[in-house]
Amino acid sequence: MRDMLGEMPVHRGEEGLKKDKLMPTVTIDGQKVEVERDATVLDAAKKAGVWIPTLCYHPAVSTSGSCRICMVELDRGDWRQLITACNYPVRRDIVVYVSSERAERARRSVMELLLARAPESPELKALAERMGVKSTPYPTVTESQRSCILCGLCVAVCEEIIGRAAIGYAGRGVDRTVAAPFRQPSEDCIGCGACAAICPVGTIKVRVHEDQQEVEISPFKSRAKLTVCRQCGEPIGSALVSERVLAKVQVSSEEFSELMRLCPKCRRSKTAAQLESADTDRRKVDVKAAKEQMSLKK
Amino acid sequence: MSTIASKRLNCAADLERIREQLLSLRVASAKSVHICTGPGCAAKGSPRLYELFCEAVKEAGVDVEVQAKAVGCHGLCECGPIVLIQPSDIFYQRVEEPDVAEIFRETVLGDRVIERLLYENPTTGEKAKSADEIPFYKAQKRVALACNGVVDPTKITDYIAEGGYGALAKVLSVMTPEEVISEVEVAGLRGRGGGGFPTARKWRSCREAEGSPRYVICNGDEGDPGAFMDRAIMEGNPHSVLEGMLIGAYAIGSSQGYIYVRNEYPLSVECLKQAISQAREIGLLGQNILGNSFSFDIRINRGGGAFVCGESTALMASLEGRTGEPRAKYVHTIESGLWGKPTNLNNVETWANVPAIINNGGEWFANIGTERSKGTKVFSLVGKVENTGLVEVPMGITLRRIVDEIGGGIRGDKLFKAVQTGGPSGGCIPAEHLDARVDFDELTKLGSMMGSGGMIVMDEDTCMVNVAKYFTDFLQKESCGKCTPCREGLSQMLHILSRISRGEGEVGDVEELGTLAEILEGTALCALGKTAANPVLSTIRYFRDEYDAHILDRRCPAKECRGLFRYEIDAEACKACGICLKNCPADAITGEKKVPHVINQEKCTLCGTCWEKCPFTAVKKV
Repeated sequence: MRDMLGEMPVHRGEEGLKKDKLMPTVTIDGQKVEVERDATVLDAAKKAGVWIPTLCYHPAVSTSGSCRICMVELDRGDWRQLITACNYPVRRDIVVYVSSERAERARRSVMELLLARAPESPELKALAERMGVKSTPYPTVTESQRSCILCGLCVAVCEEIIGRAAIGYAGRGVDRTVAAPFRQPSEDCIGCGACAAICPVGTIKVRVHEDQQEVEISPFKSRAKLTVCRQCGEPIGSALVSERVLAKVQVSSEEFSELMRLCPKCRRSKTAAQLESADTDRRKVDVKAAKEQMSLKK
Repeated sequence: MSTIASKRLNCAADLERIREQLLSLRVASAKSVHICTGPGCAAKGSPRLYELFCEAVKEAGVDVEVQAKAVGCHGLCECGPIVLIQPSDIFYQRVEEPDVAEIFRETVLGDRVIERLLYENPTTGEKAKSADEIPFYKAQKRVALACNGVVDPTKITDYIAEGGYGALAKVLSVMTPEEVISEVEVAGLRGRGGGGFPTARKWRSCREAEGSPRYVICNGDEGDPGAFMDRAIMEGNPHSVLEGMLIGAYAIGSSQGYIYVRNEYPLSVECLKQAISQAREIGLLGQNILGNSFSFDIRINRGGGAFVCGESTALMASLEGRTGEPRAKYVHTIESGLWGKPTNLNNVETWANVPAIINNGGEWFANIGTERSKGTKVFSLVGKVENTGLVEVPMGITLRRIVDEIGGGIRGDKLFKAVQTGGPSGGCIPAEHLDARVDFDELTKLGSMMGSGGMIVMDEDTCMVNVAKYFTDFLQKESCGKCTPCREGLSQMLHILSRISRGEGEVGDVEELGTLAEILEGTALCALGKTAANPVLSTIRYFRDEYDAHILDRRCPAKECRGLFRYEIDAEACKACGICLKNCPADAITGEKKVPHVINQEKCTLCGTCWEKCPFTAVKKV
């Protein structure tokens, strides 16, 4: 495979870094916003209140720019280049077009390709609708595992936030899938469900097997021991997660540990009961003082 | 010889002294037999020839000054194995094991030429005694391959004797890094890996980039189907690559280099490893090279077998031990490459050109070629030409000269159809553009590209829809699958192309392919995806009629797509031998003795067995 340097930014080279500004201005469809150096075009668009669809982007994890749904046009003077808004760093004053015909067509085309891959996903359909894509002209030619669009957020969150890297990619090209090693249930999975929470198309689900007292992260088949509320017996989630949270916050108070063993509902009612029995007068004063402080600040 | 170069070289004068010693040891009357062990000749058994020649030398005893030498690729792989007898410069081709004794007796010892082993010009019938007389070599100009076929790649002394590392000595003793970059700038050297980016500009940007350490990388992940230019250099003259990298590292200010070699090239790895250890031994790699404060070392990394790892960011990811997948290049690798540090990557051939530029001067290099493409380019010329092999031509030469003069024209009495350049991301150039010049910009204008130098010649029997399908299939399989347009778009394109070649194409398919091509070009993440549609676009551009024939007439004009042509028996040519009838697995052929046979089209499964078996070529594709 040969290498191409076509994308080498034009402001590099002879003119060098001197032009880079601390607070460059991004002009989005005619609207000007200032952002910090190295903020992305997407950051700028958010600041300007311009919506750009995203799938593989999440502020919590590093950007991969893999889904290509956030394409916008960058004005390069004598020509315009399609770029991904989520990872294009702003280093000087630039002009971008989100609603230009070419940018919109690019985004819609990517969506059509994704819809062909995952026609069943309600989440994807909803985003398509918001983008004005009603259907796809393409047949389904690649196999997806339960509507997975391979955005990679689950893999990123597991590695970067949870620190487990229990899932990764298997296969290449059209055979690429997200899986635990050897497609077997992973021992590294703590059953936290972060992958399910971050999945933009609902591919990953957390299943509770009450009969076996286990949580399962589907479709990876990884299982973890289920913990239940000490008070009402309702399932809370993975026992490993509770253990880790307790270890991480390092609060030795027995009271806190006790709270953590309850389901959110019971936790709330217990906290409420505790507050009830506390000195109500002082609380009132406190609230009043806080409110006063707030108004002073304003 | 090895004892001469076993001591560490402490200054440029040391190198010069060794060179003189090596040359003085060469007896003027001594003969040497150069056996090509390049990829093509090696596949035809040349390593065994080398052994036999070595034995013959041993048997001849000490009285005879003869040396057998295994050298790199000579280029004319079609006629391999190639053996050269020096100093009389006799060029033997298609040498086989039984010829060794005769060559040794007659030519080496007896100074007689063996006519039978000489190259014969297929058109004039003239025999060529030396390489210069062979048309294949006449139009070529060797810069990057200058020492290929001359030096033994396993011996650093051989390279030094030919002036090797002289450019490095020059750079270290009299040139500043900026002067080196200026020299390369004057030369107008552009990246030989495919993009054609000005090398000096890349070096300068890297030199000026903030951060340290800086890295230099040699991209030896040559993966284009049919291409073996870089391999021939790495295996034929590995020291030229090392010297180029050393000079580049000095110019950029780097002390660590990497050579990334594809896993399918174990011999290249072996050759480079040996070259590196020899260079280290005499202090041409390591600390304080030639007494200068400049220090540099090189590591070899083997690829894992992915085509996409030739893309710079994927290569660097792979080098770091991560999955070889490209990333966005909005922040370029010059600024943040390997481990987030400024990194300069050039391809094998680019590096190999550097010593020649320093030795002969940038102006000398710039005098070769066209206005915007300087120097020479190595191509691996393959496909339906008479002389396949490795060729190095000055930029600006026409495609016609490469195909007709160097390649010897189309094999057999077939007609030329197209030449595919630029690898899987390149395009097919038809006959009407054969007078186009080999130049980065000109080839791009024609919808193809220079690429890394693959050149596949096709004749009238090649179906262009099938060619487009082949390359799309290749790229779809080699796509890393990271970005949507490449993974999904190429699959959609392949789906349409497969339908067309099965005869199930629909009106509008070509337009649909055009739309998908536009999506890929605009939205794919890396160069693999962005250029992946080129084979399809260029074949549509020049051979639209073939697409239409497939779609509208359900007919393959080149008679390559199964089902889109029929087999028929030419009654006049048929000798009624019955071979087709006996071999037909579908019992679709009827006939008797002395009666021409006939294919029952309803029963025929189009397997082509009759066509293959007929000794009288009476079975025709219609």
